[in-house]
Amino acid sequence: MSQLRDPANRVSPRARLMWHVESGISALVVATGLGVAAVLLGRDGLRWWLLGLAVVVCATAAVVVPRWRYRVHRWEVSANAVYTQRGWWAQERRIAPMSRVQTVDLAQGPLARLFGLATVTVTTASAAGPLQIEGLDRPVALALVDELTRKADLVAGDAT
Amino acid sequence: MSLPAAPLDWKRLDPRMLLVHPIKEVGRFLPVIIGILIAGGASGAGPWTLVGVGLPVGLGVVRYLTTTYRIAEGRVELQRGLLQRHTLATPIDRVRTVDLTASPIHRVLGLATVVIGTGSVASDGDERLELDALPREEAARLRTELLRTSGPSGAATPAGVAEGERVVARFEPRWLWYAPFSGTVLVGLGAIIGGAFQLSESIDIRVSEDDLAAISQGFVVAVAAAAVLLLALLAVGGYLVTNGGFVLSRYGAAWHVRRGLLTHRETSIDVARLAGVSLGEPAALRLARGRRVGAIVTGLSGTQASSAVLLPPAPRATGYDVAAAVLGTTAPMTSPLLPHGRAATTRRYTRALAGAAPFAVAAAAGTLAGGPGWLLGLSPLPLGLALLLAWDRARSLGHAFVEGHVVMRSGSVLRSHDALAAGHVIGWNQRATWFQRRTGLVALAATTAGGKGQVRVPDVPAGAAIALAEAATPGLVGQFLEER
Repeated sequence: MSQLRDPANRVSPRARLMWHVESGISALVVATGLGVAAVLLGRDGLRWWLLGLAVVVCATAAVVVPRWRYRVHRWEVSANAVYTQRGWWAQERRIAPMSRVQTVDLAQGPLARLFGLATVTVTTASAAGPLQIEGLDRPVALALVDELTRKADLVAGDAT
Repeated sequence: MSLPAAPLDWKRLDPRMLLVHPIKEVGRFLPVIIGILIAGGASGAGPWTLVGVGLPVGLGVVRYLTTTYRIAEGRVELQRGLLQRHTLATPIDRVRTVDLTASPIHRVLGLATVVIGTGSVASDGDERLELDALPREEAARLRTELLRTSGPSGAATPAGVAEGERVVARFEPRWLWYAPFSGTVLVGLGAIIGGAFQLSESIDIRVSEDDLAAISQGFVVAVAAAAVLLLALLAVGGYLVTNGGFVLSRYGAAWHVRRGLLTHRETSIDVARLAGVSLGEPAALRLARGRRVGAIVTGLSGTQASSAVLLPPAPRATGYDVAAAVLGTTAPMTSPLLPHGRAATTRRYTRALAGAAPFAVAAAAGTLAGGPGWLLGLSPLPLGLALLLAWDRARSLGHAFVEGHVVMRSGSVLRSHDALAAGHVIGWNQRATWFQRRTGLVALAATTAGGKGQVRVPDVPAGAAIALAEAATPGLVGQFLEER
C-alpha cells in the first residue's frame, strides 16, 4: 500500500532555536502572569501546587514543542506542485499545483530577522489554502520565491 | 460646488435615485432627526430642524452627482465620492455574478440596484462594485452585457446553446412547510432562552422550590408551545418575504435566481464560474423530508452566501432535481458514497460521548450532593443525545469521485453533501492530529476558489484520501507517494 511521504526538505536548523526562544518568551510571560496571580490571590498551599504544575507544563512546552515542530516542518517543490507539512500535535499537509499559485510572499518578523530566517507563503485562489513554510534560511527563501514565481509564471490562466 | 462633468461615455445613475437616497438617508438619520426635532421644539429653534432634514437630502444629491460608471475596453469602471474619489475597475471577464436588487422603494420607481460580483476575496464596503440605482431595463441590459461577454462560458456546458429561458424550479406554497425546519427556529429559540435568562438575572428573580411547585406544569407546557408556534410563524413569514416568487432558471450561459416578496432580488451566476453544488441537509430539514441547495461559485466567498442560494428549503425531490440540473448529471448526489470504516465510526462515538460525559456526571454529582432526585434521572439524557448524534454523524460520513466530481458528505445537525467539479479543485489539504495519525485517518479538504474555500470531510482513511485525490487530480498527489 502506498502512502503520502514527508516532503523532501527540512527547514533551517536555526528555526528550532528561534522557536525555542519564541515559545520560551511566551512561556515566561504566562508563568509570570500566573506567579503574580498566585501572589496576589493569597498563599493557600494548593495555589502554589497549581502554579508549580503550570510552570512545569509551560517549560515542557517551551522545550518539547519546538523540537517536535522542527521534526514535522518540511517542504518540497516539484516541477508542477508545491508540497508543505507543518504543525506538531495536529499536522497539516498541503499540496497545490503550480498552475494555481497566485502569489508568493516572503516575510521576516523581527525575531526571524535576528536569526536570518524567513517565511515563504504561497497563496492560491482558495480562502482555505495558503501554503506556509516557516524558518527557511533567507538565501534559500529568496531562491525559492524566485523559482516559484518563475514556474507559476509559465502557466497561463487566472489560477481559479 | 463645481460638478465633475461626466465625459461622454461615462454614465450617471438614474436621476430617480434622488428620491431613493433621501428616503434611505432619512431612515438612517431618523434617530438624529427625532432628537433634533425634539430639542428644536423644546428650545424653539426652527432653523436647526431644516438642517436635520436637509443634510440627508443633500448627501443623496452629492452621491448622485459624483457617481458615474462606464463599460469600456473590456472593463467595468465606477467612480464615486466627493472628497475622496474612488475609481473601481474590473475586467469584464472576471465578473462572476451579477445581482439585481429592488427594494419596495426601487420597485415603485422602476429602479434596480446592480451589484457586480468579482473574484475579489475581500469585497466589502468601498470595494464593492455597486450601482444604486439604474432603471430596470438598463440594469437588465447591463447584466446581459456583462455575462454574455464573460469568456467562452457558453461553450463550457452542453446546455449553454439553448435559446430562451429554461425554468428548473418555481416557488410553490407547500414549500412554506419547510421554513420552520431550516434552523432559524432553533436559533430563535436559543436567543429567547438566552434572553430570558439574562432578563431574570438582571431583574434578580429568585426562584425557590416553592415557586417552582406553584407553577403548574400545564402552564409551562402552554408557554413553551406558544413560543414554538410563534417562532414557526415568524420563520414562515421570513421565508415568504425572502423567497416568495422564487424562480431558478437557466438562460444562456448563466443561472438566474429570482426571489423576494417585497425586495426583489435577481442573482445571475456565470456557468463557467459554477464550481459545484452543496446540498444542505440539516437534521431538522431531513426529518421534514426537505433539502436546500447552494452554489459553490468561484470568486464568491462564504460570507456572500446569500448570492449563492440555488434553492431555499424545499421538497427533497426538488432539491435533487435542482442539484442534478446544475451539475448536469444526477450521479454525484444519488450514487452511493464510500463509508469511512470502523476507526472513523469509533471516533464519532468517542468524541460525542466525551463531550456529553461531563453533563451526565454533573447531573449525577448534583444528586449525590443533595440535589433533587429527578436530576439523577436526567443524567442519561445527554448520553442518549450523544449516541444519537454520533450514530447520525457516522452514518453521514462518506466520499466518492463520481463523473468528474469530488463528492463529500459529513455532519449531522448541519449535514451537507457537496459535489465539486474536479476542474475546480486547486489543491489538497490533509490534517491529522496525533489521535488521527494513530488510527490512520486524515481530515481531507479539496480547496477551491469558491464558497468557503474548501470542501472538507473528516476522518478519511489515509489510503482512501490519496485515491480520491488521485482520481480527481491525476498525478498531483501521486508524485509524493512512497511504498510502505
